[in-house]
Amino acid sequence: MKILVAVKRVVDYNVKVRVKADGSGVDLANVKMAMNPFCEIAVEEAVRLKEKGIASEIVAVSVGPAAAQEQLRTALALGADRAILIESDEELGSLAVAKLLKAVVDKEQSQLVILGKQAIDSDNNQTGQMLGALTGYAQGTFASKVEIAGDQINVTREIDGGLQTVALKLPAIVTTDLRLNEPRYASLPNIMKAKKKPLETLTPDALGVSTASTVKTLKVEAPATRSAGIIVKSVAELVEKLKNEAKVI
Amino acid sequence: MDFQLTEEQQMLQDTVARLVRDSYGFEQREQFYRSEAGFSRAFWQQLGELGLTGVPFAEAHGGFGGSGVDSLLIMTELGRGLCLEPYLQSQIHAGGLLQQLGGAEQRKRLLPVVIAGELQLAVALEEPQSHYHLHHVQTRAVRVEGGWELCGRKAVVIGGHSAGLLLVSARTHGEARDEQGISLFLVDARASGLSRRVYPTIDGPKACELYLDRVLVGDGDLLGEPGQALPALRYQQGRAIAAQCAEAIGSMEEACRLTLDYLKTRQQFGTPIGKFQALQHRMVDMRTELELATPMAILAACVADEADSEERSRRLAAAKFIIVHAGRFIAEQAIQLHGGIGMTWEYSLAHHAKRLVMLGHQLGDDDHHLEAYAQLLKTA
Repeated sequence: MKILVAVKRVVDYNVKVRVKADGSGVDLANVKMAMNPFCEIAVEEAVRLKEKGIASEIVAVSVGPAAAQEQLRTALALGADRAILIESDEELGSLAVAKLLKAVVDKEQSQLVILGKQAIDSDNNQTGQMLGALTGYAQGTFASKVEIAGDQINVTREIDGGLQTVALKLPAIVTTDLRLNEPRYASLPNIMKAKKKPLETLTPDALGVSTASTVKTLKVEAPATRSAGIIVKSVAELVEKLKNEAKVI
Repeated sequence: MDFQLTEEQQMLQDTVARLVRDSYGFEQREQFYRSEAGFSRAFWQQLGELGLTGVPFAEAHGGFGGSGVDSLLIMTELGRGLCLEPYLQSQIHAGGLLQQLGGAEQRKRLLPVVIAGELQLAVALEEPQSHYHLHHVQTRAVRVEGGWELCGRKAVVIGGHSAGLLLVSARTHGEARDEQGISLFLVDARASGLSRRVYPTIDGPKACELYLDRVLVGDGDLLGEPGQALPALRYQQGRAIAAQCAEAIGSMEEACRLTLDYLKTRQQFGTPIGKFQALQHRMVDMRTELELATPMAILAACVADEADSEERSRRLAAAKFIIVHAGRFIAEQAIQLHGGIGMTWEYSLAHHAKRLVMLGHQLGDDDHHLEAYAQLLKTA
């Protein structure tokens, strides 16, 4: 089975992001970039399926600027077999990315597509679902467990207050939640091997996909800073404040 | 000059940074410190599994064939995490000596297990009276049938308590301060006549005093030609100094980050103390020292693996001197800007400060390297 894994280049999760002074977006100058943590989990799951002998090939795909090659190399170092970069310097929305991924799915004829449930930069949580709609494949989102049984795949999903297990007919789309697995570190021998693995670069035009966006970002603002706390004198006062001021009890 | 890391170096840095971040929280470090080994054997094993213990070794010996810059990336991250593992002493310093002086049989027997992280090494070169001079050696090795007999004492052997094999310098002929006559021996940690007094150093890692009382080693335990080890000892100490500079940079960066964070958080007179210009100036001075020190660490990393020359020695001495000064300045200022909390055991800054001060006293202090630099200028 061929698995396609989508990876996104985002600001490293350890970086404190700053909003640009003009409110047009987040300041990315000299900021450390990394693979989206949910995408790391997606790569790890694909590699584990390959180690179990279920997957035969893992193709990592990314949509973004030329520098996104770094994240694809990381995916290759973690165990992907080859990589595809769809190069675009535009800021693409979820739908545009989903359309591009659909084009790659059609081209590669992969049986399973694994994506992170969302990227930590825009937190949209849309691409996997949109890709499901575009391809017509079954989808299992927020996966915390994935089991392949013949031509179907059982996905345990994290839902409010519990777990739900769904059975999907292959081909299918899975989006990963945080507890699906713990991604490995790229070992030095694998980093060196990654250098020799193939990385193909495509463009949206070559795939015949229009990336024109129907959504425009008007403004980006930093969250309000937390105001200082207060110290209450007694439990009674705390209860009174929770009831009348905070109105939470 | 191109300071861009290659994709592989970037990934190497990411791997080590993530590994240290995940496994070396301050509380975890405290547990490692209090354990019998004084560091985390699990972390050491993980370094081995990821291939990181093989970075400083040549590909011909089964290593990664990493450059000085690759070692710099690893050491910087280990420094940032205040890691207690003897990576510098075992993989870079002792490993380098074994690689340079070892015969084909010795390399074949030992390098694979060292590269895999299964055998930890330590270097025992300094003595109580030697004061950074590698040729001040009073420990004696006397020829006996089938090998050598070692008598003497070695001081502050970092990682010596947990090493399986110790690289011990001893005089096979000549007087106590002669440059000729120094040999290097492999001594098994369980050898009869060898005793160790183990203690924690002030900045965390454990060290020991090594007492050699008629310790017998075989002919196969002599590294290189008898009496000819000094040039290799000096060369490999240069590589260790470059790695130490990188470690100091990681620690300095973290000390600066913690201090800036503290200035932005701590309130006094109703405002964060970072608003006060006098403190801003001091913070800027710390960053300036760091910015001066960083290129020196890069320079040291770039020349560390070059062929031995006076120019290389001069650059390494200069790097160490600048970094000792910067490290001490940053450590002291960071404590001053923090106030009392900067000295508490429960806060990592205090440990960075101690590490930075101690790095300035290991493998030569600033006075030693300034003098070395001045001497080399005279002959240039």
